[in-house]
Parts: sequence; structure tokens; C-alpha cells
Amino acid sequence: MRLVMNRRDFLALSGAGAACAAAASLPVWGTGCNASTSGEHQTYFDQFGVGSSLMRRILDKGLSRGGDFSEIFLQHKITHWTGMQDNQVDRAYSQVELGAGIRVLKGEATGFAYCEDLSEMALLQAAETAAAVADASVEARVQPLLAGDITSRYPVAIPWSEIGTDQKLPLLTQANDAARGVDDRIVRVTIYLGDETSHVLLANSEGRLVEDDQPMTIMYLTCVAMDGQKIETASEVTSSRDGLGFFTPSRLTQLGQVAAGDAIEMFSAVPPPIGEHPVVLAAGTSGILLHEAIGHGMEADFNRIGTSIYSDMIDKKVAHEDVTIIDDGTNGRLRGSLNVDDEGVEAQKTVLVENGILRSYLHDRISSKHYGVAPTGSGRRQSFRYPPNPRMRNTYMLGAQTPPEEIIASVEKGIYAEKFANGEVRIGAGDFTFYLTQGRMIENGKLTNLVKDANLIGNGPKVLENIDMVGSDMTMYSGGGNCGKDGQFVPVGFGLPTVRAGSISIGGRNA
Amino acid sequence: MSRELLDRVHAVIKSAETRGAQGVRAAIGRNRNSRVEWLDGKLDRLRESTTMNLSVTLYVDGRYSASSTSDLRPEAIEDFLDDIVSSTRLLAEDPHRRLPDPSRYADPFEGDLGQYDPNGAASLTGIERRRMAAALEEGTRSSEGADRIISVKASVSDNLYETVMAASNGMEGTNQGTSFSMFVRATVNDEGDRKQMDYWYDACLLRDKAVKPESVGQKALRRALAKVGARPRPAGEYDCIIENNVAERALGGLLQPLYGGAIQQQQSFLADKMGEQVISPMLTMLDQPHVVGGFGSARYDGEGMATRPMPIFEEGVLKNFYLDTYYASKLEMEATTGSSTNLILAPGSRDLDALLQTMGTGILITGFVGGNSNPTTGDFSIGVEGQWVENGRLVHPISEMNLSGNHLQSWKQLAELGNDPFLISDVRCPSFRFTGLQFSGA
Repeated sequence: MRLVMNRRDFLALSGAGAACAAAASLPVWGTGCNASTSGEHQTYFDQFGVGSSLMRRILDKGLSRGGDFSEIFLQHKITHWTGMQDNQVDRAYSQVELGAGIRVLKGEATGFAYCEDLSEMALLQAAETAAAVADASVEARVQPLLAGDITSRYPVAIPWSEIGTDQKLPLLTQANDAARGVDDRIVRVTIYLGDETSHVLLANSEGRLVEDDQPMTIMYLTCVAMDGQKIETASEVTSSRDGLGFFTPSRLTQLGQVAAGDAIEMFSAVPPPIGEHPVVLAAGTSGILLHEAIGHGMEADFNRIGTSIYSDMIDKKVAHEDVTIIDDGTNGRLRGSLNVDDEGVEAQKTVLVENGILRSYLHDRISSKHYGVAPTGSGRRQSFRYPPNPRMRNTYMLGAQTPPEEIIASVEKGIYAEKFANGEVRIGAGDFTFYLTQGRMIENGKLTNLVKDANLIGNGPKVLENIDMVGSDMTMYSGGGNCGKDGQFVPVGFGLPTVRAGSISIGGRNA
Repeated sequence: MSRELLDRVHAVIKSAETRGAQGVRAAIGRNRNSRVEWLDGKLDRLRESTTMNLSVTLYVDGRYSASSTSDLRPEAIEDFLDDIVSSTRLLAEDPHRRLPDPSRYADPFEGDLGQYDPNGAASLTGIERRRMAAALEEGTRSSEGADRIISVKASVSDNLYETVMAASNGMEGTNQGTSFSMFVRATVNDEGDRKQMDYWYDACLLRDKAVKPESVGQKALRRALAKVGARPRPAGEYDCIIENNVAERALGGLLQPLYGGAIQQQQSFLADKMGEQVISPMLTMLDQPHVVGGFGSARYDGEGMATRPMPIFEEGVLKNFYLDTYYASKLEMEATTGSSTNLILAPGSRDLDALLQTMGTGILITGFVGGNSNPTTGDFSIGVEGQWVENGRLVHPISEMNLSGNHLQSWKQLAELGNDPFLISDVRCPSFRFTGLQFSGA
């Protein structure tokens, strides 16, 4: 499993004359409930010819060979990238994705087919393909579709799809000016502004129907600094499920100034010491540790087949009593936040570790049935092209009482790890790595020289057991976490207070 | 079929020109994929897809954009073109943005690249896929050491695609291909709560090139069992061998700085090294787009330029960069191509066993975990898995160790290449033997 840190309003609808329930508090696309002349309620996807009666025929077809459950996931997503290099906003990229993923379950087996053609023939063909996971011939028993009522955590006044390039240009220019203004040694600045407008609809054979509008935006900024023959780079990222208003002047200025300042500082970096050394993880970005060291191992699909190191550890002590770890889909506009998961389950907060005791796995529909527990709202997918899996959302450790400076002062010689680029874990052995792009030496309890480009490698359960000081300064990472699993990437968030993590093996050049 | 798709591409180009674009490149890709996933003796997932996508690159009044859409309803394509032409006009002019010179489209490779299997790779029935997936698992569970197995996941996948591309200044190309792959992931019990997982796979473009499914499962299990009891060694400088199937990852940090974007943006430690001996003279590497059955083979590149074989390193001397039309213009250099095809490394004369004997004591790297490489400075640090070797014999598996260094220094330590280029990849790396690299560990 890999993590790379760089990179939906609804209408309610019912079939067969059931009542329409829309959330009036949201700035929804269209209006809450539009009745067509045929008497069917309207959804976003009616404009593509996929109405509720067709959805029911698709769900019926999905069950036609004896499946237990069928589902259609429709998505229309518009993505833009606007780029600036060498002081010019001179490139733009866009992508329109439209399609449907149809899933049929038979026991724990999945039939899945997707198509990008939303014609009735193509959709019914896809449903027939997915139905083949079962091999009987039965009468379908799809329930009437009934709209789900959800609360939006991330409404936007104007969808990104309606914001013109002309409104984006000043954002890039301002961040560019801020970065270049830091120091004459900043010789190159590259900026990409990404925005997404994703409309999704999920309907299933149990009668659940829910729609969501999922905005996302991200800005990457990379600076190259040159001093004589020495060249260094540094990057900053900021991301949120938000609209144009996210990019306030102060946010843009900070993005540019931090990246530029870091690039300049790199000139003074010393090689990190290699071998095992005490590590203090700085608040925020270091939450990648939780993601890799414990989060993936708590995804129930690995535990269902016994391949995770945490397979038999529920209700066992795995960490210091100050350690409480949460995976949460309800954190406002963070990247991993959701209104509903991609199986139509409302977003939740799941306690993974409570005061050092392992409490729950992260479940999707299949695993929750396997374990006989309620779903945790963790069924996620990259797009309509994929079936859902149990995935993390925003994973963080709650803060405790220790002041962060006390934690640093407690280490005679070690590493203070501040910025990371990526990580990876071996689920069964629990061995994980995360790549440090920037940190500091701790010498005699004080932060001293800058260190960079070192891979930290350790065993997740051991590192978790060894966390013996937890700071009071829990901070969520505000950049762009992307988590890869089973060939699918989903946006995630994470956070951590300052913690002392015991000794971790550090690899770096020339030490 | 290609003609029909080409007609659609030409219609898109004409529509974009009507809207004011002076240069247009458009492509349509169509794909069908089927996969069966088998888990612990049962069908786990059936997956099928059919997709079609239109991509359009625009040059409007000296301005540039690239866009794609899977909404191919005629009225949606018209709206899409309206939108992308008008938003391109809002960007800054860039004199370096232009279609390739038409001379670069001329004389594409005419021979058969062995990319399309008319009767084999993409014509499996659902039942055949299930049988093969079951055979993959059977091969795993009937192998020595199967009593340690916790779980076996196997999959069989086949793919059929067709792409067409055309540009408003005279390029036209079509491509059709098939592929077939098998994959097994085996998880076995280690000591305590630890489990070890590894995988193996086979892939080919023509199905008669595929190996027996059982052998894939056997190899996946063998690799997982080989990790049982893994532990770190103390930090130190060790000789090492990187196994052929993972050597591509090691090479990645050397390739990233060869691209025009990295060079022009001063994020390349190789930018000023053209013609210089930058790595060991043992390494000669050719970008060869015309390998029959090669996973990266192509007649034309992403800009439609006819592909040509291109030396990258000759006996350690840097010979070429990957330069697309845009970055070549910015760097005032001749465009080569903006993307790699098949990378062919000149192999050595001896097998992996002989390399192990010569190394004597050191580390055999069989997997990389996480890590990264800084393209600006060449510094890298990567987690490794593998075997501790003494007197040429495998002694115990290693884990929780990092390999670190600087590419410019470390690649000078390359002492020998094996005779075993890994053929299931577009990067055909043999095993590498290095002397004296830096490892961190316990």
C-alpha cells in the first residue's frame, strides 16, 4: 500500500410514488425535487438519459442470475489543471469523466462492470456482465428507490466547473510572486492549481438512492533555489474540499513563502545519521506514520482473510495508554472527508485505537457482513471504474498533555522529522517506510542542523508500542494526501501531535 | 474500425479549427478489459469494462491546452470543444508551444511489432479465465511449503485496445494491441504475529507466449517463504546484487532527470552531463521502440513523431535526453521524444548464481519498499528486502533496511550486469552487481 502526498449537494428521489426528501439547507444543483412529466423524480443524471426507472431495470438485471445485492454508481467528474512556469500561466489541462460502475454481490464474491457509454443498451449489458458472479436464474427483487437524506460538509457557492480560467490566473500569479519575493536565489517556480467537480449517484437493490457533489481543490508549488553550483528544491501543497474562496491571499502567500524558504534552507542541510536513532515526529505531516504503520493494517479486507498483522488483535493492547487513533470521514473540508461513502453509507468517525487498545477495523459492506458488525462508512473507490474497498479517510491521533518542547528536550541525540513525501507498508509483516524530505537534528535536547532526503523504515506495531510521549499539539496535515491500494487512489487526510517514537532506522547519504 | 475512428478524429480537428485553433492533435482510444480474481479457492471478483476516450491538444493564438473526455455524445463534444478553445485563449502566449515539425511524422516503422493477437490474448471466455485463475491457486497450494499458506489471491486479465491519432499538420496513425496477464499473491505465516507476503506474475502481448499458470503460483509462494524470519543487519557498507525483476526501480532515479521538464527547470543532476562518463562503463542502455512483442513498442510517440532507436547511455557516457517539442524549443535543442519506449540494457555474460559467487558476502536485493530519489541532487534512500549472502550462499532474509547514496556516485560502483534481462517489462534490466553501497539497518 502506498501513500503519495501530492496529490458532492444531492437531490432526493423515490421510485413508485414514494415521498421526496431533499435537504433544503444546501446550495444544491438544480432544485430539491423536480417531477418530470412521466411522474419520475429527477436526478442529476436524467440529463444523460439515466432516470430512476432505467436504474431499477439495471438493478433488476444485476440480480437476474441470483445475486444477493446489486448497485449502480454513476459519476460525472470535471477536472482542471492550470499551470504556471517561468512566470507565465501558459498551460491548461482538463478531463471530463462520465460513466457507470455496476456491482453485484453473491455472498462475498463481487461481479463488477463499468462503461463510459450511458445508453440503456450499454448499461444493461454491463449489469448482465456483473450478474454473472452468480449462476442461477431467478426473479429480481429490487426494492423501490428511496432517496437518502444527507448533510453536506463541503457545499461550495459556485462549482469549480463554472469558474473560468480567468478567475484562476491571479491565484497562481500571487503564489508565484510570494515565492520569488523571498530570495534572489529562487530561480524557478512551478505551480499547478487543480480543481474537481464530481457529481455521484448511488442506487442499490435495497432501495437506497443518494447523490452527492464532491468538490476538491489543490495547489502544488515547487521552488528551485540556486547558490553558485548548488541547487536545491522544496515543495508545498495545500488542498481542501472547497471552492475558489479557499485560496485566500494569506494562504497563497504562505504557500509560496514556505516553499521558497525551505528551498533556501536546504543549502545548510547536513547528511542525516544512518542506523537506528530516536525519532521525534513533528505535529501534522508525520500523521503519515499512522496511515502506514497502523491504518492499512486495520482495513478489514486484509483481516477478513487473515493477512494483516492486526488480524487477531481486537481488544488487545497495541500502544501506550496516551495513544488514541481515529479514522474519521466527518472532518469538514479535509481531503478525506465525505458526506456518504461510495456504498451510500453516511460518513462516520471510527475509533481504531482507544487509550492503547485496538477497538475496530475499517469496514465496507462485504467485511461488515462477514464480521456481523455495522459498516463504518469506509467503503471507498477512486471512481466509477472501481468496486469499493475498505479505505481510510482522515486518520489522526488525539493530543495528550505533554508540551511539544518537552518532548524535543527529552532526546539527547536524534531526528526531529518534519516533512514527508511518501510511504509504503507491508500489511502482513507490518514493516513500513516513510520518506523524510526535511527534518532537523536533535542534539542535547535542542533542534540544530537541517537534514533531508532520508528514508525511515520500521515495523508498525513496534513503533506504535514504542511511542511513549504524546504532545498536546494535534495538527492535521493540510496538504494533498493520496492513498494507493489495489490499484486505486483516493484522497486522504492525516494528523498527529508531536510524539516521541523511540528508535527508527534511518537511511541517508554519506553518514 | 480504425478508419471510422480516424474519421471521427478528423471531424474533431476540423471542428476545433473552425473555432479558431491553428494547431490541433486529437486521439481516440478504445479499450476492453476482463479480469477474474480468485481468493482462497473461490471466485472473488469478476471485472469487465469497455471504454472510449477522446483527447484533444490545442494550439490557439500561441496558447496551449490538453484535454480529454469520455462523454462522447455528439452535442457534448461540441460543448467540450467550445469550452476548451475559449479557455485556452485566456492563457499566456508561449512561443515554444507548437505541433512537431511535419518532417518528424515521416517514415514510421513499418514492420510488425507483435502487439496484436487476433485470436488469443483477448478472446478468453469467462469460464477459461476462471479455470486459469483456479490453476494459479492450485499451483501455489501444491508447492513445497504450502502448509504455511494463510491466503492466496490469483487473477487473470486480458485486454484489447485500439488507438488512433491525427494532427492538423499531417500526422495520422493507428495502433491496435492485446495483452494477457496472470498474477498470484501468497501470504504465509512467519514467526509470532508476522505474516510474509509476496507475488509473482506473467504478462505477454500474444497469449502463446504465456507460461504455465502453475509456475506463477509456485514462484509467488517461493518468494513469500523466502522472507520468513527476515531481520535487519547492522548498518554498513556492503556489496550487493539487485535482482533483475526489481532492478527497474533502482534505475528509475537515473531516468527521471533525463526529461526535458526536469532539465529546463533545473531539477536534474544530469542536465550538464551530456557526453560525459557519468556512470559505470558497464552500463549501455538503448531506447528501442521497435522490439517485437515489447511492452513499450510504438511506431509514433505521444506527439505523433515517428519513433527511432535512441542510445541513452553508451558504456556509461550520457548520449541523449528525452526532449519533447516544447522543452526542446525552450532548451534550444533538437527534439528527441518526450517519453521512453523499451529500455534495453546490454546484458552481461553470467547468471545470477555466478554473480552471487563473485560477490561472496553481501546483500541480494529482491524487493524495494517506499523510499524516494531527489532528481535535483541525485540523493536517494530506499527501503530494501532481500537476503544476506555469505560465500555466495543465501544465509537469511533481511528486512527493515535502507539503501542510500547519490546516483552519480552509486552507479559508478556498478561492477557487473547479469545475463538475465527481465522480459516482462518495458525496461529490460538484468541483475546488477554493485560494490560497496551504503545500507542502514539495526
